[in-house]
Amino acid sequence: MSVRTPMLGRFRHGYVAPAALLVAGLLYAPFLWTAYLSLTRYDGLEPPAWIGLDNFAKLFDDPALLTSTRNTLIWVVGTMVLPVGLGLLVAVLSYDLKGGAWYRLPFMLPYALSGAGLAMVWSPVLSHGGIANLLLGVDTAFLQEAPHNTLAMLLVWTWQQLGVNTLLFVVGLQSIPKEPIEAARLDGAAGWGLFRHVIWPLMRPLTAVVVGLALVASLKTFDIVWVLTQGGPGRNSETLAVTMYKDTFVASDYGYGSAVAVMLTVVTGLASYLYLRRQVSAT
Amino acid sequence: MIRRAVLIVLGLIWLGPTYLLLVNASRPASSYDPASAWVPSGDFALLENFGRALESANLSQSLASTALYSVVSPLLGVIIGALAGYTIVVLRLRGGFWWFLLIFGGTIFPSQMLLVPLFVGYSDAGLYDSRFGMILLYTAINVPLAAFVLRNFYSGVAFSVFEAARMDGATTWRIFWRIYLPISFSALTAVFILEFTFIWNDLIFGLTLTQTEDVRPVMTAIAGLMTDVYAGTPVPVGLAAGLVVSLPTVILFLATQRLFARGLSLGSVQ
Repeated sequence: MSVRTPMLGRFRHGYVAPAALLVAGLLYAPFLWTAYLSLTRYDGLEPPAWIGLDNFAKLFDDPALLTSTRNTLIWVVGTMVLPVGLGLLVAVLSYDLKGGAWYRLPFMLPYALSGAGLAMVWSPVLSHGGIANLLLGVDTAFLQEAPHNTLAMLLVWTWQQLGVNTLLFVVGLQSIPKEPIEAARLDGAAGWGLFRHVIWPLMRPLTAVVVGLALVASLKTFDIVWVLTQGGPGRNSETLAVTMYKDTFVASDYGYGSAVAVMLTVVTGLASYLYLRRQVSAT
Repeated sequence: MIRRAVLIVLGLIWLGPTYLLLVNASRPASSYDPASAWVPSGDFALLENFGRALESANLSQSLASTALYSVVSPLLGVIIGALAGYTIVVLRLRGGFWWFLLIFGGTIFPSQMLLVPLFVGYSDAGLYDSRFGMILLYTAINVPLAAFVLRNFYSGVAFSVFEAARMDGATTWRIFWRIYLPISFSALTAVFILEFTFIWNDLIFGLTLTQTEDVRPVMTAIAGLMTDVYAGTPVPVGLAAGLVVSLPTVILFLATQRLFARGLSLGSVQ
C-alpha cells in the first residue's frame, strides 16, 4: 500500500459508518437480544427473568411444537419433490425442444402473483364448499383437516414456484457443454441413462444452488400459511415460523417465542451446513 | 412425442387455476357462484372490481405506504451499501475485509430472530407503527446485499480512475457521487429491483411493527382482508385485489428486464 492517506481521504470510517450502524443496530443487536431472551421468562411488561434452559426443555414436550415440526418437515420434503423435482422434470423435458419456451409459459404465469396475493386467489378454490370441492366432487375441507391443509398449501406453493425453478434448471441445462452429451449419444446412451449418467452430473453445481435455496426457504415457510389458515384450525397447520409468531405475539410469551426462533435458526443453520458439506465433499 | 404430451398435460393443469383467476376476477362482483366458476361471464367487470378492491380496507392507503417503503428504502440502501463498498475497495479502508464481513453478515439472520427485540425496541423508541420506523428497518435489511454487489463491482474498476480525479482535486465524496455511483448504475438497478420486490412482498415485518391502516404495508393489509373474503368481500373483488397488489412487481420487472440481467452479471464478474 504505497498510496498515502491524504490521497485516500481522512473520512473513511465516516463513509462506512451508516452501513455498519444500520446493520449492527437493526440486525445484529436484535439477533443477540433474541438469543438472550430465549433464556428468560418475558411477557413484554415485566423485565425479563433469567430461567436458564427452561424454555428449551419445554420445547421437547410441547404438542404444538411437535405438530409444527411435522408440518415443517412436510414442507421441506414436499418442496424438494414438487416445486424442485417437478420443476427439474419440466426443464429436462423442454430445454432442447423447439418452442420450449412456449411449453414453459403456463408454469411462468403464476409466478407473477406475489406474496399474500397468491393466497387471496386460492382461498375461494380451497374453502369448504369452494371450487375444488365442487370440481372433485368431494366434501373434504381442504384447509381445515390436518394434514390435508398443509398438503393443499404445498400444492398452491408448487403451482406458483415450479416455473422459476424450471427456468433456473433450463439456464443450467443450456449452459452445459454439448460435447460430452454428443459423445455419449454416439456411444448409444439415450433417455434415462443419458440423463442419469451424463447430464445430471454436469448440472450438479446448479442443482446444488437451487436445492440449497429451496431448503432454507422451506424451513422458514410462513407467509402462505399465515394468510391461508393462520396456522389453524387450532394449531394443526402451523410451521415452526408460524409457531414462533403465535407464541410470541398471540400468547405474549416472548421468552418461549424467542426459544422457538433460536431453534429454527439452529435447525436452518445446521441443515445448510450439512448440505453444503455434502456438496463440497461430493465434488 | 411423449415429452410434448407430458408437457402439454402438465401445462393445462397449470393453466386451469390461472384461467379461473382471470375469469372470476373479471366477473361482476355479485354474480359469483362456485358451481359455475368455469363459465366466463358475459360482462367484463375487471376494472370495476379493481376499483372496489382499492376501496375496501383502505387498500389504496396501504398501497401508497408500500410504494413509499419499497422505493425509498432500496434507494437509501443501495447508496449506503455502495458507499461502504467504495470505501472498502477504493479508499482501501484499514481492516476493510472485516468491515465487509460485518456488513454482509447481516444477511444471515432469519427474520424470526429479529421480531421480538424490534417490536419491544420500536415500542420504547416511539417507532412502532410509524413510516419512519419501517423505512429504517427495510433500509438496514437492504444494505448487506448492496454492499456485497457493489464491492464486487468496484473492485473491477481501475484505480487510475480514482487517482486521476484525485489529482484534479476532487474530494473523495465527490468522486463517489459523480463517478463511482453513475458507472455502477446497472448493478444498482439490479439490487434495487431485488430489494423493491422483497419489501413489496413483505408480510411479517408489517404484521409485527404496524397497526394503523395508513402505515400498514399492502401485503399485511391483504392478509387482514382474507378473513373478510368469507365475511362480505365478494370473491371477484378479492381476486382483483390479489391481482392489483401483484402488478407493480411484474411491471417493474418487465420494464427493467435487460438492465436487470446486465446488472447481475456485472455484479458477479470481476
